[in-house]
Amino acid sequence: MIGRARLPRGEGVWPWLAAGSLALSLLMLAGLLFLLAVRGMGHFWPSPLTLVTLEDGRLLAGQAVREERQPNAAGRERLYLTGNRDLDGAIWRWVAVDEIAEESRPRDLVVLERTRWGSFQGRLLALEERGERVEGEAAWAALQARLQELAALRAERDRLRDEIVVPLVRRMEREPLAEAELARASARIRELQARIAGGRLLLESVDGRRLEQPLEQVLRAWRPNAMSPPAKVAAWGGGVWRFLAEGPRAANSAGGVWPAIFGTVLMVLLMSVVVTPFGVLAAIYLNEIAHQGRLTHLVRIAVRNLAGVPSIVYGVFGLGVFVYGIGGSLDEWFFADQLPSPTFGTGGLLWASLTLALLTLPVVIVATEEGLARVPDHQREGALALGATRVEMLTRVVLPMTAPAMLTGVILAVARAAGEVAPLMLVGVAKLAPQVPVDGDFPFLHLERKFMHLGYHIYDVAFHGSDVQAALPLVYATALLLVLVILVLNLTAIFLRHHLRARHGALPRR
Amino acid sequence: MIDPLPPRDLPRHQWRRLRDRLATLLITAGGIGVVVTVMAIGVFLALEVAPLFLEAGRSLGWRELWQPRWQPGTLPGESPLFGLQPLAWGTLKAAFWALLFAVPLALGAAVHSALFMPPRLRSRLKPTLELMEAMPGVVVGFVAGLVLAPWLDRHLAGALALLICLPVGLLLAGLAWRRLPAAWRHRLPHGWAGLWLMPWLALLVVSALWLSPWLEALLFGGDLRGWLEAHAGLGYASRNALIVGLAMGFAVIPGIYALAEDALSGVPANLGEGAQALGATRWQSLWKVVLPAAAPGVLSAVMIGAGRAVGETMIVLMASGNTGLMTLSPLEGMRSMAASIAIELPEAVPGGIHYRLLFLVALVLFVFTFLVNTLAELVHARLRSRYRRLGGRS
Repeated sequence: MIGRARLPRGEGVWPWLAAGSLALSLLMLAGLLFLLAVRGMGHFWPSPLTLVTLEDGRLLAGQAVREERQPNAAGRERLYLTGNRDLDGAIWRWVAVDEIAEESRPRDLVVLERTRWGSFQGRLLALEERGERVEGEAAWAALQARLQELAALRAERDRLRDEIVVPLVRRMEREPLAEAELARASARIRELQARIAGGRLLLESVDGRRLEQPLEQVLRAWRPNAMSPPAKVAAWGGGVWRFLAEGPRAANSAGGVWPAIFGTVLMVLLMSVVVTPFGVLAAIYLNEIAHQGRLTHLVRIAVRNLAGVPSIVYGVFGLGVFVYGIGGSLDEWFFADQLPSPTFGTGGLLWASLTLALLTLPVVIVATEEGLARVPDHQREGALALGATRVEMLTRVVLPMTAPAMLTGVILAVARAAGEVAPLMLVGVAKLAPQVPVDGDFPFLHLERKFMHLGYHIYDVAFHGSDVQAALPLVYATALLLVLVILVLNLTAIFLRHHLRARHGALPRR
Repeated sequence: MIDPLPPRDLPRHQWRRLRDRLATLLITAGGIGVVVTVMAIGVFLALEVAPLFLEAGRSLGWRELWQPRWQPGTLPGESPLFGLQPLAWGTLKAAFWALLFAVPLALGAAVHSALFMPPRLRSRLKPTLELMEAMPGVVVGFVAGLVLAPWLDRHLAGALALLICLPVGLLLAGLAWRRLPAAWRHRLPHGWAGLWLMPWLALLVVSALWLSPWLEALLFGGDLRGWLEAHAGLGYASRNALIVGLAMGFAVIPGIYALAEDALSGVPANLGEGAQALGATRWQSLWKVVLPAAAPGVLSAVMIGAGRAVGETMIVLMASGNTGLMTLSPLEGMRSMAASIAIELPEAVPGGIHYRLLFLVALVLFVFTFLVNTLAELVHARLRSRYRRLGGRS
């Protein structure tokens, strides 16, 4: 900004340290994004399975995860993800690199994803079903066909249970006639269950231990070393899709995050429905109607400063006022028959969105006010001179010109709310919500239920899981998803603001 | 505001006037309602805390609150201790290390972009750093607690090597740049140094980590942690203040940067230009003229950063270990006020002494950040009027 580019002769070392600190900040940001992107996306890639022969003749099959210097020796050691928790009791194995005699990638190694015991890595010997036994290469083909069949059966069973049985059970109290229908559905489910059960796999780990695996616990099977690149890409896409569309399994350490995505979006939507009208109203009042005196000035400063109050304080306020205060009273008035188990007197979707609405109110007010200040006074004066009342002037002239600013404010509020976790821990987030807050039951949207949240999911899986190492890839993927959502929202807001500046120029008033 | 002209007295106009009145009333009521609700937060917290001191029989004295132990545990046979001292200490310690890391970096970045950077690049850079600010605390906390902490556990010497290598490497880059032929210098202008230094820094990081085992063997007998324990008496906890400082520093850098950069680039240009016309270098004019003029703005930027660091919950919760220690050591953990609320409040009995104490903690946080932010705002307002007086752009 000062003059033209000159030679910074004799300026010493400081300018370089200043430039370096900027470069370092950018590098840290890039590093964080890169880490999340690589580890988050890499999790779904079917990585090759290495068969490692150690010097002493032992064998193991696993995916190399990382390499470290050995703590008290000169060499390096490598961490393998070996799976087979039921055989080994652990899924990780450290191996000193010097002890490795041979590494190979046999094409016949399979990986099974199971509902219990995590993954299996080893060889497939045979598939047994209804007395028939298939061995060798044919077993692999038969397994693939059977797994597809099983997936279809499972999908139908789950659909039946979620869409017919569960609502029926809830209606049972009022309509005893539903019993026949329920019995029919249950019979159908039992029949499906019988068709799912029964099959068996005969498996062998690479070091020769055998295992009989009930087929109904196997979700997927693949041979990473035999897959072609397009097949790997397809598997990767499938993995990403399952992550986005499925619910969590195995105490949140596997499976997808769909309920968390749903909960986050729903909560943020409810929040923006609350925060937009009130924020805009307050901004209009402060900027257009209130007397522009000292008091308004102070209120404006206070509102701006509320944006800097820690989010946890809003959580405390929400817990005290909404949950225990209003929620407790609502329970006493309307849900007294269900006490002492609380309905609204505990954390829930409604209280969480109200708390976050309060938290983001200053963001919306400040952004809208900025937009209102950008509207030149002569526009207002022109409207009034043509005979418009003040409200007509506001709704027909001023507010349409402010719309992009309001939108920017709401988007920034949404971006802030989507990333906030601390207040939610007090007012209604759950690590595993058995029921999604929206279903086919009246009143369809259940404001009192707890919900899952992407940010809290990260915290919970990363810090309260049983095996953090195993769940880590999933946490990376969830974190990447959350960051992507927030980045997109922020970029939209930045773009809108840029567009706004280009149209209206710099601040004309104040 | 501009008052509307009184409309003519026709039925339709009366209706319009009535509608105008009603709508104005509605907006006023809504606006005042919202403002009052928002302001009520502090009042409500104070009301919840009040019984703690006023109620007869179980009121607490200041001595009890200022014990060096915080043990709200409900283990049988153990009386709870509610000393707020460790929490206050942990909060300030976390904020201190975060600011120690963030302030130099943020101010350096602000100085560079306000003084040396071409305006077009600067207008691209600001949104980028805004994205950095929008990074959710839970993600930063996760990376700090589960990636950075285990890494630092094994590579403490590497981190130390980085601390030495980065500044030295930067200065080397500066020296080398001066010796470059003019054509090259033109292609790598100083104003873009913030970008083209990035690969160089990455290279420095890699080489420092590669060199660190040798450094450790040479200087500390191959075991830095053992050396620290023996010579400086510093224990090592795997989740410690250093990690919290790094992670929270990362989170507060963009905020401090944005405000400080605004203050620096808002200084009327004729001041700096005058100094340079009299023969000062750009750095001299910055140090002697621009920085003193912008000092209040820079100060308010740092204050707002401090407010953010004191209130940040998730990063401290996930990266600090949450042990209520009272040490100054950067290699040990702490328990902050915000993290305590997040952990303990869901389990506290409503209306109980523990519950009310946590409300007191929240009130303290609220009052502190509110005061700091207001002070920063006032300082900033002073700055703006000073710029106007100096006759530059405001």
